[in-house]
Amino acid sequence: MAGGTTLRESLKEMKRLKNEPLLLMVIVLIILLVGYFTIWPVIKVITVPQASDYAQLFAKRRWISALKNSLFMTVVSTLSCTAVAFLFAYVVSRLDVPCKGLFRFVALLPIVSPPFIVALSYILLFGIQGIITKGLLGLHVDIYGKFGLWIVQTVTFFPYAYSVILGVIQKISPNLEYAAYNMGATRWQVFRDVFWPLCRPGVAGGALIAAVNVLCDFGNPMMIGGDLALLPTEAYMQISGWYDMNTAAVLASALLVPALAIFVINRFWVGKRSYVTITGKEISLTPLKPPAWVKWGLFSLTMLVSLFVLLVYGSLALGAFTKAWGYDWSLTLNNMKYVLNKGGQIWNSIRFGLLASLGASLLAMVLAYIVQKKQVGVNRLLDFLAILPGAIPGIFLGIGFVMAFNEPPLELTGTAAIMVLALLFWNIPTCYSACTAGLQQIGASVEDAALNLGASSFVSFRDVILPLLKGPFMSGFVLSFLRSVTCLSVVIFLYAPSTIVGTISIMGLVETGQWGSAAAFTVTLIAIAFTVLKVSQVVLRRQGIRLEL
Amino acid sequence: MENFIEFRNVTKRFDDFVALDHVSLSIPRGSFVTLLGPSGCGKTTLLRQLAGFAEPEEGDILIEGRRMNGLPPYKRNTPLVFQEYALFPHMTVYENISYGLKLQKAPKEEMDRRVAEMLEMFNLTGLEKRFPKQLSGGQQQRVAFARALIMGQKILLLDEPLSNLDAKLRVEVRTELRQLQQRLQITAIYVTHDQDEALSMSDIIAVMRKGRIEQLGTPWDIYFRPVSRFVADFVGTVNFLPCVVEKKEGKSLTVRYHQQKLTFDTEVDLRPGERCTVVVRPECMTVRPEHAGEGQLVGEIQNYSFLGRYIRYWIRCNDQTLIVDDSNPGLTGAISGRVRLSLDLPKLHVLKDVGNAPD
Repeated sequence: MAGGTTLRESLKEMKRLKNEPLLLMVIVLIILLVGYFTIWPVIKVITVPQASDYAQLFAKRRWISALKNSLFMTVVSTLSCTAVAFLFAYVVSRLDVPCKGLFRFVALLPIVSPPFIVALSYILLFGIQGIITKGLLGLHVDIYGKFGLWIVQTVTFFPYAYSVILGVIQKISPNLEYAAYNMGATRWQVFRDVFWPLCRPGVAGGALIAAVNVLCDFGNPMMIGGDLALLPTEAYMQISGWYDMNTAAVLASALLVPALAIFVINRFWVGKRSYVTITGKEISLTPLKPPAWVKWGLFSLTMLVSLFVLLVYGSLALGAFTKAWGYDWSLTLNNMKYVLNKGGQIWNSIRFGLLASLGASLLAMVLAYIVQKKQVGVNRLLDFLAILPGAIPGIFLGIGFVMAFNEPPLELTGTAAIMVLALLFWNIPTCYSACTAGLQQIGASVEDAALNLGASSFVSFRDVILPLLKGPFMSGFVLSFLRSVTCLSVVIFLYAPSTIVGTISIMGLVETGQWGSAAAFTVTLIAIAFTVLKVSQVVLRRQGIRLEL
Repeated sequence: MENFIEFRNVTKRFDDFVALDHVSLSIPRGSFVTLLGPSGCGKTTLLRQLAGFAEPEEGDILIEGRRMNGLPPYKRNTPLVFQEYALFPHMTVYENISYGLKLQKAPKEEMDRRVAEMLEMFNLTGLEKRFPKQLSGGQQQRVAFARALIMGQKILLLDEPLSNLDAKLRVEVRTELRQLQQRLQITAIYVTHDQDEALSMSDIIAVMRKGRIEQLGTPWDIYFRPVSRFVADFVGTVNFLPCVVEKKEGKSLTVRYHQQKLTFDTEVDLRPGERCTVVVRPECMTVRPEHAGEGQLVGEIQNYSFLGRYIRYWIRCNDQTLIVDDSNPGLTGAISGRVRLSLDLPKLHVLKDVGNAPD
């Protein structure tokens, strides 16, 4: 009766909590908070629509095609994201080529940018007024729709897969490849029989991360999807156009199912199949060198993608300083002046981002600590609560907040608090995984040693765990801040005139064709994000802490 | 000697796995007690119960007669040296060593003085500003000792503290540690799976197996008078000779091993005709070329291994292979071919076969 004993163990562990009232209080508080701000909105969204509302999903042709389109885009964009990501990860980690710094930079850019930025630049480059289509080639093409969206999502989301795949590749010891080589395998056989099988869990993990991002992507389809019906954008239309909460909730729920499925597969299947153990041992051996034509072929491909990404960002920068994109190419500061006038919105972005990420990283740190280092009988529940928001599409969480907090006991509609809280809970998994990774690096006995020397649980947490978690904490904090500042999907339903943030403004500007101002706004947001990133990297490096994103 | 530490019927389960099965153990003040056993035998679990990192389901743990059950680790005053040292990576040597004093809010001068003493004692003077990762393995280990001893407690728990050191250093530290324990009159509980460490340092060894103490005794008892095949086999190298009892008169026992009769003294209660196992250590046999003529057993050398201070022979004898060590190898190399073995009869030991089947 393994189940019975586990339950008994859990109960026993819970009973022991009587002796640690502080810990018990913290646990109860966390469960209440996360329950109220994550589970409750989810329940609201799922339960508010009637069965007849759900039936519509399979009756209306537009919803069926939204479902199909969403799944189709997820599949094709995920495939291309994963391919590009593997290319980048392989080139950066295994090849002796120049420009690696550039490749790393290119793979970081989309992560620190608003999610719709690639769509925006794509329009600037290839749209009706595009600098390449109209300016250089004199074409008049319609780029809105599946193809454009595919390109844009590939560029936007490959970095997420890249970081996962890179992490795995870097931990594969070149020794294994040498061993196969030593036994008589050719370089291709080494790749096929040793390297690739070891990469596979990482590639699968990266693909799933990309998939969930593509599936839940709201900004890009909004800007470049055109008439293409997709679940997130349709849900948004229902609310903004028809004030039809029930239908929006149904569409969001339809989105939640595949998102949860991907999440579960990633966590419980791919996670367990990884061959790579985290030992923290550095691999210094030079990897096996592929033939020159392979090396330079891969290099050229990577360079091509990188140049495209740079072009995307370059056009955005140009757009920010151009008078009227497509008509009047003369340079101007007017767009920037416009942004200055809207300084309040930028300030909102920063303010909400800071508060949300501070809250998220504090809460996540305590959560990660309890889950990793304390046996409290509810570790699994706490772990589940901490990672759950990661499985919820931003758009779903946004609708959930609208539905859950427009009524007592907590009426938050239109306040800044609802924006901060939504971003806070949306970011918990980000901070949680950073802190969890950090805690796993701290040997189990280090804290025992403090207890052994006479430090109470609280004192050992303060003296040992906190200082050692500084790095992961800051990583989670900075990453959350970047995510918050560039987030659109979560906040799009929650803002009021006084709480508009940068991303929402940009969407409005794009919808009305004010490319210059939109570009200027975006450039400003990216500048803020990069400044925060760089400043914190420099400050932390002085303290000997490496910021991991 | 009074009992300083006592385990009474301590039982601990992890799900269905019984880690400790009604373990009772009394540890006299000032003694060096080693918990010896293979991994998973419960030795570390027992130590962690004493330090308070885990609570037994049943049984009591007492220090100086005071029941420790339920007391959190930080109130137990049971300094522990961890296997991987568990130095605080973000603190300097000074901060690591003084951490316990700092928690007690000791005045700065006292802290300085006592840290200086420890640095001196452990040959670490001058390294106080370094961080653990800037130290060698041996230095880290000494910091761990200093950190555990600075509070001046009369008890020290050690969880395989030498296992991360290289072989030579391990032997050196062994001697130093034993001297230190005796000089400071500390009661030490030492966990290891290394029989050499156990034999060389301990007053008492508790050999553990599957959550129970299989044998408790002095190193001599454990080595020469093991109570079971498991203990005999785990501590040192051993040959088991299957024998039948011929007669027992008082302490004097005569057994038959194939055609050869062996007579020696034993306390073990045996009856004529009963099957038994004679335990003989490799160094308790002498090997000579067959023509030299002496010795109870005849065999043929199958293999040998020269280890400098001795030669180990594998000798086919009757239907088994015996391991015999020649502790004074000649200059001309190993002997070969048919040989005679003489057994050092007073050092023979016998185990009853009943209830003591081979694994």
